[in-house]
Amino acid sequence: MKIKGTPLTALLLLALALSVSALAATEFKSMWTDDLFVPAPGFEKHMLSEWFDGLKGTPADNPVYIQKGEEPGGTVLILGGTHPTEPAGMMAAVLFLERAKVSRGRLIIIPQTNIMGYSHTSPQEAHPRSISFTTADGGKRTFRFGSRLTNTLYEWPAPDIYIHPASGQQLPGKERGNINRCYPGIPDGSPTEQMAYGITQLILKEKPDLSFDLHEASPEYPVVNAIVAHERSMELAAMTVMDLEDMGIAMRLEPSPKNLRGLTHREWGDYTETMPILMETGNPVQGRLRGRTDEKLALTGVDKAYVVASALGRLYIPYDGKQTIEYRAGRHTTSILAFLDNLDLLFDDKGVSVEGVPNLAELEEKGLGFFLSPAGR
Amino acid sequence: MDWFFPEGIYTIAMVGSFVLGAFALKLPIAIALAAAAAVGALCGGAGFPIRHLVEGTFGYLDTILIIASAMIFMKSVQRSGLLESLAARIIRLFRSMPLMLSLGLMVIIMIPGMITGSSTAAVLTTGALVAPVMIKLGVPAVKTAAAIAMGAIYGMIAPPVNVPAMIIGGGIDMPYVGFALPLLVCTVPLAVFSALLLVYPYLKKGAGDEEALEEDLSRMEETPLTAGLLMPVILLAVLMSGEQFLPSVWPPLGMPVNFLLAALSSLLTGKKYNFLEASREAVNDAIPVLGILMGVGMFIQIMTLVGVQGFIVVSVLALPAWLMYFGMATSIPLFGAVSAFGSASVLGVPFLLALLGLDEIMVGSALSLLAGLGDLMPPTALAGIFAAQVVGEENYFKVLRHCFFPAVVTAVWAVVVIMNANTIMGYLP
Repeated sequence: MKIKGTPLTALLLLALALSVSALAATEFKSMWTDDLFVPAPGFEKHMLSEWFDGLKGTPADNPVYIQKGEEPGGTVLILGGTHPTEPAGMMAAVLFLERAKVSRGRLIIIPQTNIMGYSHTSPQEAHPRSISFTTADGGKRTFRFGSRLTNTLYEWPAPDIYIHPASGQQLPGKERGNINRCYPGIPDGSPTEQMAYGITQLILKEKPDLSFDLHEASPEYPVVNAIVAHERSMELAAMTVMDLEDMGIAMRLEPSPKNLRGLTHREWGDYTETMPILMETGNPVQGRLRGRTDEKLALTGVDKAYVVASALGRLYIPYDGKQTIEYRAGRHTTSILAFLDNLDLLFDDKGVSVEGVPNLAELEEKGLGFFLSPAGR
Repeated sequence: MDWFFPEGIYTIAMVGSFVLGAFALKLPIAIALAAAAAVGALCGGAGFPIRHLVEGTFGYLDTILIIASAMIFMKSVQRSGLLESLAARIIRLFRSMPLMLSLGLMVIIMIPGMITGSSTAAVLTTGALVAPVMIKLGVPAVKTAAAIAMGAIYGMIAPPVNVPAMIIGGGIDMPYVGFALPLLVCTVPLAVFSALLLVYPYLKKGAGDEEALEEDLSRMEETPLTAGLLMPVILLAVLMSGEQFLPSVWPPLGMPVNFLLAALSSLLTGKKYNFLEASREAVNDAIPVLGILMGVGMFIQIMTLVGVQGFIVVSVLALPAWLMYFGMATSIPLFGAVSAFGSASVLGVPFLLALLGLDEIMVGSALSLLAGLGDLMPPTALAGIFAAQVVGEENYFKVLRHCFFPAVVTAVWAVVVIMNANTIMGYLP
């Protein structure tokens, strides 16, 4: 079909392109609004720039919530949302933020660690822009879904090759936007490297005894339903894995590879004194084998493509047709609570006592939304 | 039926509407892909999702910039007289050595494809340049065209720029690093084979019209081949090598800027030309390919959205092992009738996932070779159609007939490389 080009057809095409751009821009801009968090009583809101002032006024400045118990004890740091495409990590951190009552020690929470990844979605992934939960009063809480990488508005153009500054490790250029490849970070680097530097500074100054980085992984990738532990965290992690087994929660324990650089479980351990722990649950919505991609898949993990893939023996998780966010976030909360028990056992003066956070069984029984605070509170 | 419905229906709707748009309605491939994406979204109950259609195109933003800037570079060195002068020098040097000349011509055909990642660029630049020379040297027109088409495809797959390999690697977060030698393993033996099969026998006979050839060579040598004339190529080589081999000290300019700087340097040498006009022509030539990339981006995003991608991927993974190799050797080139890039993304990635355990870089390289064959697949057959054009052959099927055997050998070689990926990688430094 040939249409003869004239100035009029050119103008019409231009107008059409502008209209489509305007409509698309409106949709993309809807992700620029921050999510609402309703911290439990006792939490104080800080900003990451308090630990590294180079972040002040930049999109990398990020809320940090701290609750101190009546009794002295240790300090625990929980990071959710390192990768915004792994929502159970963020929601587990949010459950601690909105439910935790700390009686001993200190709890520090960053619910959306790479906040610059929450303002866009990745091309060709067709991910939902948000996920919603119904709260106990029938209201609705909505959280952005986002991208694994920092928004390209802040990290574009990517270099052809990303050189990890601390080790010289070479990675594809776009990985510079992946905060979990940028640790310990550098003060004069890219926005994501600066943000990683800010978090490292927070750890150096606040000295958390135990630090969690909560993730999810594709069911077809080997490191899933797993704890990855630095050498310093290994004894504590091994005890916790045994406790989880007793509770019926199967968990792999993987040592942090020494030659894989820039990740929390390696760099926090090497550059600070904390005990780093990274945890993974199985998340179909980020997998390559997934079928229809939408909010429902992110929340339920129900996917017939994964049923078939499981029957073919292609998965590293037991898949019974679903992987609800309650199950995935519940694995995280239960694991963290088990870690806290063992922290107290192993290091008498470093214990952190937290109440009110739902475990796996409670989340599966009542739903995640039940434990979120109503939006109007 | 449970497995097939509804995703199988969506697959048929998307592929069917593309075929209808591209072949029945003769829409440009890019428009047909966009329309098929829209149909897929509509069938899948997603309405007309502008967000998804626009977002899908952004997956190829960097690739589009690379191709556009590479085309500007090619047009610039063509206008400065460098390409013609270089081709003439090679023919003169190796004229009395038919074997070396056959191989040299193949290299010349491949170079633009190697630099731009586009077989079309190779056919329409150096392919067009060497076509009359080869015919004058005694190679029949259809075999000349077949050699150009095959050389262009091998050039598109050979390093440094191989877009299908980038697409396949991107699908499993594998960096486009360390591909140079595996891609040479995939392409060099085939390029040599095709040169020996399609070009060498005729050059050996020496049946060419020597007088006409000399006339052509003299015309091509109007701009003397000096070090200055070669500056854009040297500069590009330095810029690319610097970023590749000295990444910690070299400023990360990126391929588009490298190409543009090298293109601008051609203004200082050779024939004078209008850079803006050459750039406009280059981008104009590239627009169909760029449009196809954007259309493929939309198509893939909607496939992912409505579940077609998972349906195809898991169906492929369910194939028995013996069928999988045959399946990949046929389905990837066949799907290339849509687009070699689309085939790389839609089928290359799942096959790579299915073959995890074999060396991913070598497998990804060989899969990109299969995807490259898509540019021979009628009715789009970009490489075949343009190659027929440059030798003045109206029926491109005559050209494709001579491409058939080298293409089969190519597919078999790709499968052999995949099956022995770990062993081959073991031999590479």
